[in-house]
Amino acid sequence: MPVIVMASPKGGVGKSTCAVVLATEFARMGADVTVLDCDPNKSLSRWASHGLPKGVTIHGDIGRAEIVPTIKAADGDGKIVIVDLEGVASQLVSRAISQADLVIVPMQPTALDAEIGSEALALVLEEEEALGRSIRHAVVLTKTSAAVKSRVQKELEEQLRGAGLDLIEPSLVARAAFSELFAYGSDLTAMMKDPEMVTGGKVDKALENAQKFTEAVYERLK
Amino acid sequence: MSGSNRLAGLKARSKDTTVAEVRRVDEVGEARGFVDRSPRKKPGRKPSPRTHQLHPKVFPEVGEAIAAEAERLGITQGQLVEVMWEAYQTRSDG
Repeated sequence: MPVIVMASPKGGVGKSTCAVVLATEFARMGADVTVLDCDPNKSLSRWASHGLPKGVTIHGDIGRAEIVPTIKAADGDGKIVIVDLEGVASQLVSRAISQADLVIVPMQPTALDAEIGSEALALVLEEEEALGRSIRHAVVLTKTSAAVKSRVQKELEEQLRGAGLDLIEPSLVARAAFSELFAYGSDLTAMMKDPEMVTGGKVDKALENAQKFTEAVYERLK
Repeated sequence: MSGSNRLAGLKARSKDTTVAEVRRVDEVGEARGFVDRSPRKKPGRKPSPRTHQLHPKVFPEVGEAIAAEAERLGITQGQLVEVMWEAYQTRSDG
């Protein structure tokens, strides 16, 4: 089953949020999901410490030497492996990309995120050339406005498409519920059912966004 | 979207993971600034497993005498200090 790698040398672009959203939604579909937390900030391990949804297992503290064998060991029938990487340019990142069936490069709709994120995209292309095989990759815009699409976002989307890049739609909207997943653990459906989980946002809208995003990723894995 | 039957259709491609392949990936990454950033081990000698060490300053002739006696007995200077301490305690108790 596929290995999905979240990559961007820039921190704070939404790699961990994308990883949690995909892990929880694929698990809800019945997949056995293994999440590898390779970020020294341990965002996913913190999320997991509050409770994991059924079907998700997590491995943390994975370094450069362990990444390839750990992905190999986690991969198997009926399993989806999701790798959340550190927000720096490291060999850990390049090695993880080499094992991916899909590399997702999240970026906020800003020039800085696009510029730094493009380093990861360039690395994927160079690894494809060096290894002599294609590595599917796509960009997802994150923390976008729910109300209006900004001029910068429109221009960035145009540029990405113009460069022949695969842009995952929908984007991940800036929703309080996504941030609160790291405070409460588990998934968005649990958040909806538990009145004690207060997000101050629209969980149903976040869930709808998460489902459509996961569906778009699923289409790229077929 | 629901049901694991849909997921059953998902396939992973086989990827070689030979040492040569990993080295090639490292080289490609390094050329683009994706270098080894693994945390380095603390430099310097590892701390001695022996604890409670003493570093007394004594006159040179006393130090030489202790070293010679320890050598004669076939023990370390630390062990000799322990023997001396035991003898001192016995004398103090008596």
